[in-house]
Amino acid sequence: MTDTALKRVPIESQKRLRGLMRDYFVDLDAAAKDPSRRVAWCTSVGPTEILTAFGFEVFFPENHGALLGAQKVSHTLIPRAVGAGYCPETCSYMNSDIGASLAGWSPLQDIYDIDGPPKPDLLAYNTNQCREVQDWFKFFSSKHDAEILGVRPPLYLGDVTSRHVDFVKGQLRELIERIERSFGLKLDDARLEESVAKSSKASSLWREVLETARTRPAPLSFWDGLILMAPVILMRGSDTAIEFYEGLLAEMQQRLVDGVGAIPGERFRVYWEGMPVWPRMRELSEKFFDLQTVVAASTYCNSWAFADYDGGDPLDWMARTSLEIFINRDEVYKQSFLESMFEEFSIDGAIFHNARTCPNNTNSRFGMAQRVREELGLPVLVLDGDLTDIRFFSTAQSMTNIEAFIEQLEGRRS
Amino acid sequence: MTKPLFAGIDAGSSATKCVLIDGDGAFVGSSVLASGLSYEEAAAGVLSQSLAEANATADDIEACIATGYGRDWVPGATRKLTEITCHARGAREWYPQVRNIIDIGGQDTKVIRLDATGQISDYRMNAKCAAGTGTFLESIAVKLGMTLPELDTLAAESESHTVINSYCTVFAGTEVLECIKSGKDPADIARGLFRSIASRLFEMIVSHDGPVAATGGVVAHCGSMRAALNEVLDDEVLLPPRPQFAGAYGAALMAREGSDVTVPTGGREAPPCGSSTRGSCKC
Repeated sequence: MTDTALKRVPIESQKRLRGLMRDYFVDLDAAAKDPSRRVAWCTSVGPTEILTAFGFEVFFPENHGALLGAQKVSHTLIPRAVGAGYCPETCSYMNSDIGASLAGWSPLQDIYDIDGPPKPDLLAYNTNQCREVQDWFKFFSSKHDAEILGVRPPLYLGDVTSRHVDFVKGQLRELIERIERSFGLKLDDARLEESVAKSSKASSLWREVLETARTRPAPLSFWDGLILMAPVILMRGSDTAIEFYEGLLAEMQQRLVDGVGAIPGERFRVYWEGMPVWPRMRELSEKFFDLQTVVAASTYCNSWAFADYDGGDPLDWMARTSLEIFINRDEVYKQSFLESMFEEFSIDGAIFHNARTCPNNTNSRFGMAQRVREELGLPVLVLDGDLTDIRFFSTAQSMTNIEAFIEQLEGRRS
Repeated sequence: MTKPLFAGIDAGSSATKCVLIDGDGAFVGSSVLASGLSYEEAAAGVLSQSLAEANATADDIEACIATGYGRDWVPGATRKLTEITCHARGAREWYPQVRNIIDIGGQDTKVIRLDATGQISDYRMNAKCAAGTGTFLESIAVKLGMTLPELDTLAAESESHTVINSYCTVFAGTEVLECIKSGKDPADIARGLFRSIASRLFEMIVSHDGPVAATGGVVAHCGSMRAALNEVLDDEVLLPPRPQFAGAYGAALMAREGSDVTVPTGGREAPPCGSSTRGSCKC
C-alpha cells in the first residue's frame, strides 16, 4: 500500500463546524452577560426543546466534560473534585467539570476567548442517562444560586408504553409550570412545536448521515462522527443544525458516489459500543487508520438519532424520545439493537468500551459481550478505559488489544 | 549456511527473545537478553547471538516478525504482530489440541482461547495494573528483601498456603506484611502469592474446557507458578519445552508461513522499557 493510496480525504463540513462552534459559544457568553437574555444548562438528551421554546440559550455541561477530556486535562482537574468529596470512580465528566470550576478554568477561555461556561439562570436535567447528572447540576445550582429542575423517567425499559409516556409528559408539564412561575414567562405552544420539529429534523438528518456508513467503503467513521455530532446536541431546535446536516449529508452522499471512504483501503468494519475515550481519540483514530479498519457505527453517535416527529403533541415526542433512548433500555432491547446494527452496517467485530466511571453507558458488565460472541459468532473485544480519565486507560495495552483483535479478524478470513 | 531462516523477535517489557527456525520449522538458534533501555539494542543483541548459534548471517534470514510490547522498535523486522497472535501460534505448534493459553509476562498477563480449528476465538489481558503479572511477584519479592527465585524456592517449601486477597500490588504488599506480623509461615505466604496470580488467571479464562498450556518467563523460571496453576485450575497445565520463547517461536513460524496479517511497522521513538525489576526474572 503506497502513501498516496492511504491518504485520508478530509471531510469539508468539519471546517464549517469550527465557525459554528465559535458562534455558539461566543453567543452563549454574550447571553450570560446580557440581563435581557437567559441561559439554561441542560443534559444532552433534554429537555432542551422546552428551554429553547422559552427563549433560553442552552449550554450542555456534558459537552464541556467531553471537551476537558479531549483536551487531555481531566486527570489534572478530577483531583479537585475528589478533594471536594466526589468519588474518583464516579462520572469523570462530572468530576472534570466540577474540578475545572473549582480551578476557575475552562478550555473555552483559550479556544474562544470567552469567560468560560456561561453563568446559568436555570439548570434542567433528565436522569434518563444516569442519576449522576442531578448531583452534577446540583453543584452548579449551588455555586450560581440558580434554580434546578429535573425530569426522572422510569429507567431500563423494555417496551415503552403509553403509561410511561404519560408519566414523563406529566413531569414535563410540571417543569413548564415551574419555569413559568419562576421566570414570569408563558410558554408559546407554537414555539415549542417549532423547536421540536427542528430538533427532530436535525436528528433525522444526522441519522441519515450515519447511515451512509452502511456502504462499503464507509464515507465517515466513528471518529469523524464524534466531531460532527456537536450541532445535533448543542444546536438542537435551530435552523443552524438543520443546515449543517443538510450540507454534511450532501457531502457524504457525494463521497458515496465517488467511492471515497473514511479509511482508504478499508479492510474491516468494526462497531464501537459505549463511550468514546476522548483523551485518546487521535491515537485510536490513527491506530484504526493504520489497520485499515473503519469504525463504521457506534451506539454513542446514534444516541442523538431520535424518532421522527409526526406533528402531534410535542410533549409526547419529547417524553417518548427521552424514554426510548438506548441508554434507558433494558439488556434485551440493547442487545437486539446492537444485533440489528451489526447486520445493517456489515460489522466484522464489535468493541465494547468498559468505561470505568460510566457504568450506565457500559454494556459489557453483565455478559452482553460474551452473549454477542456466542449467539452471533461475532468477535468481540472488551477494552478497559474511561471517557476522560486517562489514568484508567493503558495506551500500550489497549493498542495491543486492538491490533490483536484485527489480527483475529484477519485470521477468520484466511 | 544456505538454507533460508526465519526469525521471530519478541521484545517484551523485561526480556527480549529471539528464535531462528529453518524451513522445516526446527530451532536453529535462540537467545534472550534483558530489554534494558533500548529495544533496538536488545533486539540486535538477541538476533546476533541467535545467528551465531545457527552459524548464519543476517543475509540468511528470509523474513522476520517482531512481536511483544517493543515490536514497533525492532530493527529489520519485515512485519509485526501482537504477542497474542504469536503466543497462540507458538503454543499451538507444540500442542495442536490446546484450547487455552496462559501467558504470564513481566508487564501483562494474557489468556488466549482457541477454537477447535486453532483460530483465536477470544483473549483477555490484565487491565491497567500489575495484578497477575511477573511485576507483581517481583515487587512483592523486593518488599520481602529477596529475589524472585528465592521467593519461588520458599513457596516450594510450603505444605499449605495463605490466601492473599488483594489484586493490587501495593495492597498485596501490605497484606503480606500483615500476614508476617500475625505469625503466618513465610513459605505459606509465598505460595499464596503464586496462587493469587493463578486465581486471577482462573477468572480470565472464558471457557474451562480443553487442554491449557502456560507460556512466558514466569512459568519458565518459577516452579511454584506452575504448581499454583495446576492447583487452582485443577488441571495438569501443559508446559512447552521452551515456554519463554513461545511468542518468538510463534513469530518465527508465522514468518515462515508468510502470514499476510500485515501491520505497518513503526519508526517511532522508543519508549522507556518496562518498569519491572530486571535481573531477577527473565519474564
